[in-house]
Amino acid sequence: MTVPRFATPNVRRATPRTLMLLLLTALVAVSLVSLLIGAGSVGPGRALALLSGAQDSEARFIVWELRAPRTLIGIVVGMALGVAGALLQAVARNPLAEPGLLGVSAGAAFAVALALVLGASAATLRISVAQLGALVGCVCVLSVARFRGVGNDPVRLVLAGAAFSGLLASLTSLILLYDQRAADEIRFWVIGSLAGRRLDDLLAVLPSMLVASVMVALIARPLAALALGERVASGLGHHPNLIRWLVIACVALLVGAATAIAGPIAFVGLVVPFVARAFAGPDIRRTLWFCLPIGPLIVLAADIISRVVVAPSELPLGVLTALCGAPVLIAVVRARRLPML
Amino acid sequence: MPFSPEDQFRADGNNNVPPPQGYWRFAWRSGNGANSLLFEQRAVVVNLGLFGALLLASVIYLSLGSVKVAPTAVLQALFGNADIMASFVVQELRLPRLAAAASTGAAFALAGILMQTLARNRLATPGIIGIDNGATAFAVASIVGLGVSIAPPAMALAGATTAAVLTFGLAAGNGTQGYRFIVAGIGVGAVFGAITQLMLARVAIDTANAAYPWTVGSLSARPSGALQLLMLGLVLGLATAMALARSLTLLRFKDATASGLGVNVKRRRLEVLLLSVALTGLAVAVAGPVGMVGLIGPEIARSLASSRSVPVLAATLAGALVMVLADLAGRTLLAPIEIPVGIVTAVVGGPWLLWILMRPQRSFT
Amino acid sequence: MSQSPTPSMPSLATQSLGMSYGTRQVIDGLDITLPSGQVTAIVGPNGCGKSTLLAGLARLHKPDSGAVLLDGADIQRLPTRQLATQLALLPQEAVAPEGLTVTELIRFGRQPHQGWLRQWSAEDQRVVQHALAAAGLEQLADRPIDALSGGQRQRAWIAMTIAQQTPLLLLDEPTSALDLGHQIEVFELVKHLAHHGRTVVMVLHDLASACRYADHLIAMREGQIIAAGAPATVVTPDLVRTLYQVECTLLTDPDTGSPLLANVRRSPAPA
Repeated sequence: MTVPRFATPNVRRATPRTLMLLLLTALVAVSLVSLLIGAGSVGPGRALALLSGAQDSEARFIVWELRAPRTLIGIVVGMALGVAGALLQAVARNPLAEPGLLGVSAGAAFAVALALVLGASAATLRISVAQLGALVGCVCVLSVARFRGVGNDPVRLVLAGAAFSGLLASLTSLILLYDQRAADEIRFWVIGSLAGRRLDDLLAVLPSMLVASVMVALIARPLAALALGERVASGLGHHPNLIRWLVIACVALLVGAATAIAGPIAFVGLVVPFVARAFAGPDIRRTLWFCLPIGPLIVLAADIISRVVVAPSELPLGVLTALCGAPVLIAVVRARRLPML
Repeated sequence: MPFSPEDQFRADGNNNVPPPQGYWRFAWRSGNGANSLLFEQRAVVVNLGLFGALLLASVIYLSLGSVKVAPTAVLQALFGNADIMASFVVQELRLPRLAAAASTGAAFALAGILMQTLARNRLATPGIIGIDNGATAFAVASIVGLGVSIAPPAMALAGATTAAVLTFGLAAGNGTQGYRFIVAGIGVGAVFGAITQLMLARVAIDTANAAYPWTVGSLSARPSGALQLLMLGLVLGLATAMALARSLTLLRFKDATASGLGVNVKRRRLEVLLLSVALTGLAVAVAGPVGMVGLIGPEIARSLASSRSVPVLAATLAGALVMVLADLAGRTLLAPIEIPVGIVTAVVGGPWLLWILMRPQRSFT
Repeated sequence: MSQSPTPSMPSLATQSLGMSYGTRQVIDGLDITLPSGQVTAIVGPNGCGKSTLLAGLARLHKPDSGAVLLDGADIQRLPTRQLATQLALLPQEAVAPEGLTVTELIRFGRQPHQGWLRQWSAEDQRVVQHALAAAGLEQLADRPIDALSGGQRQRAWIAMTIAQQTPLLLLDEPTSALDLGHQIEVFELVKHLAHHGRTVVMVLHDLASACRYADHLIAMREGQIIAAGAPATVVTPDLVRTLYQVECTLLTDPDTGSPLLANVRRSPAPA
């Protein structure tokens, strides 16, 4: 039987173990660069000196208090968005399903803006509200997808998602226009960036990340069976509907948490699984493993570039992910045969 | 059986025939033989109705705002015999903005219905396939001054053309039909949107604030001169589109059918594309990317008109009407806060787009 | 149907025509002449170049070499509109915009004859009525195209080409999606048109209907003409074997005299 090849570049078939090792090495290297490079006055030289034991209080503050949390957050956000993208693509059976494109991130952002206007304070409620918004967004888009066969056409689903997230983004702007206090509170969050986030933000989302990891571990196997079709999965003793709901919950937890820290970031969930499939082939389980190093790699790389290109100011992360993600989108669409995952 | 038009013409002794059902026919004789014009009754009624609605909306637009002017006073102010205050508010403040709203709406909707006809897809509007964003990126580049100081309309035209070339180039091979073409356009639009953000992030906050309306679509900052250019372009564009109307109707068929009926399909498509791109560029130079009007205007026109022809004029009028109403809502709903017109149209147009998407496949012509 | 015979009958021919599809050369150096006032069927196995040839005859694809000649003139040099008064085309699986009625569709056939100041003449009116009658669609004149049966829909499309009043009519697999009854409806209409002075060229993939309804048969294989002439003379078991790699017994239809294929079976072994 021939395994269907997806619209992904072919990578020479090295053993998965070697590839994984390479990716992890790359991740360590990028994390190091993320500690060394920044927009401020502490350049790579000073940072390197600090890491090798020099006494430099300014550099210590910038590297350990600002860049280290930022790097950690980048790693977690990258993992969450990458895995969420892979899960959503598997359950929608659509290589273009992406939390940002389909309006899941926009749902989270909208929910946070709405909660702020209704009087919530940003710090306490943001995560659960974002996750709830992501859940609603996820359910909305996937029910549209199941409605009258929109989801049977991968491209049409993206269009529905684009319409949906455009609508939510406009509503969010409308809310921010209406309520100046809310606007000031989340102005920098709503753009999507890793700048100025603190370790506390990360600690706050860790529990839900852990819950999501456990769930992913549990549903990976049935999800692989679901890739063969609903009937086959039932025949193998799985419950397609239950799996689908669990996946949706997982995606909501992951995207909600990532959006709560970093704001809405599009295209990561498209690019990461796209690259991961090139390494891993069509098996969802292996793809999920490969998303773990690839997601942080891409997010950190984008974040480093965002600090450098317009120094001394910074670029929103979403701008860079869109710049590298949109060509991937076009490449997938241009592929002669658009696969159903 | 006579085969050449000349033969048939000589055979035509009687120039008095009943028109097809649902049409009015006007016939007369002149030096070059028997002439006849056909007007579709429903189209005439729809166009007059839309025009009336546009006039009514315009009067309301001129009368509402932070200073209320009674509709009768609006008419007096327009014809020059009202008190100074009313005249100033109506003529100096609101009339230019009304003109901008109506002409951008008309241009976006006309560009929309042309592009839809070209792609044979109701969703293929310039806003959705990334042309608005391309025009915006270039116009913002000229405003924030990345070493380019050509006027915004020229830059917006260049941007619209670039985006169109990219979208159509990238979709080549898959044809312009179907949804892949549209998603390629969404990708192109996303790239240009990101580039716009990138440019805004690079400049000082003041310049960025000046350029902000460009990113959402707004009528509050209209570059001088752009409106006059747009109105000129709109008049020429509408005249051209109406002259092409008969072959536009044939473009809705397969290429082979249209070509068999005597339309030079390649040339006609290129003309229609250029027209649509130019109108989009000129309109973006005035109002920024107010994409949804290009979708809503033609939708309204199609729901009112018959399916016999492409309702070019009705779509244009409906687009102007939608834009005037949307800007009126944006100015008055949350006053004194002004909602950019692009946000109003997006909030209205988003659900509409979703609804179109969820309808059965067959209706996508 | 009291139409006077055509005053001038233009001739359609190709001169060492070469065409390719993408990078693949489909036909090369083809010389054919289509007999005026007759029904010509182009047959052959899938991918033999028959549809490409038709597209070339209708000027939908540009030839790489050689030319299609209409009355001796290269059709590439004719204005599109003038060509549309000489040659009508019914593409495969034509689709009409939603909601269009039969009469409205037929009226489109008049477009090549109309102009800005001549939008609806007495002649237009007469020809549309005639086309409705010729295709037997008077009862269905105001029905939407979507609401017709397959055979009726195809007849409506042919009626549009009738209204175009061209001496030449090209049809690309006009019966491909129709059941037997509807196929007969369409073929009889085509036959009727030829009797009233039109030259009809159609691509068919069904050899049996080609034998039954064509006056002239062009058999193609791998971009080459391997036989051309009246079906009764050119269709032989050898030809059928060369075209489709099948064996058959050939009978003669006792009613019409056209060849009938019987006992069609797979060839024992490739030659």
